[in-house]
Amino acid sequence: MKWPPMWIRVKIKNENTKFGIWLPLFLLWPLVLVLLIAFSPFIIIGIAVLWPSGWGKLAWLALRSAGGIICALHGLRVDVANPRRNEIVYISVV
Amino acid sequence: MTDSKKKILEMLAKGKISADDAYRLLGVLDEDEGSGGEPARAEPVTRASGKYLRVNVIPDPDSPGGERGDRVNVRVPLSLIRAGIKLTSLIPSEAMDKVNDSLKEKGINFDVRSVKAEDIEELIQALGDLEIDVMSGKGEKVKVFVE
Repeated sequence: MKWPPMWIRVKIKNENTKFGIWLPLFLLWPLVLVLLIAFSPFIIIGIAVLWPSGWGKLAWLALRSAGGIICALHGLRVDVANPRRNEIVYISVV
Repeated sequence: MTDSKKKILEMLAKGKISADDAYRLLGVLDEDEGSGGEPARAEPVTRASGKYLRVNVIPDPDSPGGERGDRVNVRVPLSLIRAGIKLTSLIPSEAMDKVNDSLKEKGINFDVRSVKAEDIEELIQALGDLEIDVMSGKGEKVKVFVE
């Protein structure tokens, strides 16, 4: 089973700013889960109502794809640096 | 007639493979069945050996202006690419038509709708052998590979 990412590390550095933070995503997921459970009846009814028009299936696929993309973010890393200008932008999802 | 043979004939009927290819594939299936081995089955698609697509841009300090360039190091999980490509199923048919028309305008006769999930998996699997190494005119070295 794929788990959603637990942390995002963001580091930004330039001449004026030096900023680094670890964002604890694992604190967000329980909240998202609770909201999802709370709104699930509305989501299910909405999808069921829209199903004959084709939009329901699209909404269901969009929800599934969004979940898949969030879980697939594990290991994403973007690191852009300019040593001459002493600039760094670093984003890592773990 | 086995399922594999039916599949080959269907592919031939749809014009996905040529008559020669179909003949060759049917021959391979007959050999497999004739040798007493297990009936031929469609090979399961294996996942790419690598896990990440890496893109590195390294400025060349010796070239003019090279020392001013940005060093870029991007690591994209292949699973994210897979998930992203699956989003194509959400593209409305009108948009698909526009994509097809644009491709045709550029001389590419390709129907985007014909791309199936298996094809995507094959494509990602083939990425495992990909290695691009380019030296740009601005004195940057660009490397794309799977690790």
